[in-house]
Amino acid sequence: MDHPEPKRKPSPRPVIWGSLTLFGALFVFLTFQLSASAAPSHARGAHDKKVATRKRASAESEASTDTEAGEEGESLYAEPEYAETEYSESVPGEEEIVEPEAEAEPEPEPEVEYVEPEVEEAPPVVTSSS
Amino acid sequence: MISGIPHTIAKQGWWIASRSSGVVALVLVTISVLIGLTMAGKPIRKPGLNRKLLAVHEQTALAGLVAICVHGLTLLADPWLKPGLTGVLVPFAMPLHTFWTGLGVIAGYLAMLLGLSFYLRKNIGAKLWRKAHRATVAVWALGLIHALGSGTDTSSLWFRAFALVTFFPIALLFVYRLGVERRAEERKHLAARQRRRRELLGEREMLAEYEQPLTVR
Repeated sequence: MDHPEPKRKPSPRPVIWGSLTLFGALFVFLTFQLSASAAPSHARGAHDKKVATRKRASAESEASTDTEAGEEGESLYAEPEYAETEYSESVPGEEEIVEPEAEAEPEPEPEVEYVEPEVEEAPPVVTSSS
Repeated sequence: MISGIPHTIAKQGWWIASRSSGVVALVLVTISVLIGLTMAGKPIRKPGLNRKLLAVHEQTALAGLVAICVHGLTLLADPWLKPGLTGVLVPFAMPLHTFWTGLGVIAGYLAMLLGLSFYLRKNIGAKLWRKAHRATVAVWALGLIHALGSGTDTSSLWFRAFALVTFFPIALLFVYRLGVERRAEERKHLAARQRRRRELLGEREMLAEYEQPLTVR
């Protein structure tokens, strides 16, 4: 007597492996993309701006670990100023952070003594009665 | 460039993992919704196909839920964002892209609720479960809006292509399903009306027979 073949559910393996493969491929791709976008010529679109902001913020937080804002990360949520962003050629986190030069104090003006100008007496007016 | 990769992973690894798992979650939920709509609308009728589709639908939905969890957990570990448990779990509590991430959190909760309700359908009743399950399309839509609003990769060509390629079939299948459901409702109403008419006619005939005077042969 022939038994009917038992109905089996399709295996979940293709879904699991497919998801893991997609995750791995995306991870590698995004890592490469992020490493490549360090160059200034790549930073164009909104994506690159977001990445650049993130890099800049992490570099800033690295540089100012002694300050409270850097430790708490409060300033990291500030809206980025894209227009003013300057991109550096170096690897993120290894950028040289240039301290802004302190403003030179204005030189004290030389003291000038006020000397009243000598006023010459006007010569007496001679009227001629001719 | 290659020399910078270990540095990138060390610095941005959690963020990259979160982005990747978010995209994987969206892909899996999209596949699951596509299969669900295909089964509901029944545009293809082939013996045994629905059983296979149902299994893949369930598997992709569960894998999507796992990917959503990974998306949240990896974001939690991101040293730059530091969202905290509140930022990840409470809608509109994330300090960055508050509105879009809030939609994402709501979509995640809805996905959990609607996805896992499949295993409680005997308790809540098949009819109620089926009604609630229709809202899964909203989960996909919210997820896509969340990705478009706050995702870092939304400006990428590959992401836009994916969004476009998946949006139209899902929209078409959804409209088709709505049409199928409306036709089914109309058929149901028509059948009920005909049944009532038959019942009324039967009653009238019976009454007519009853009221007929008996003839003596």
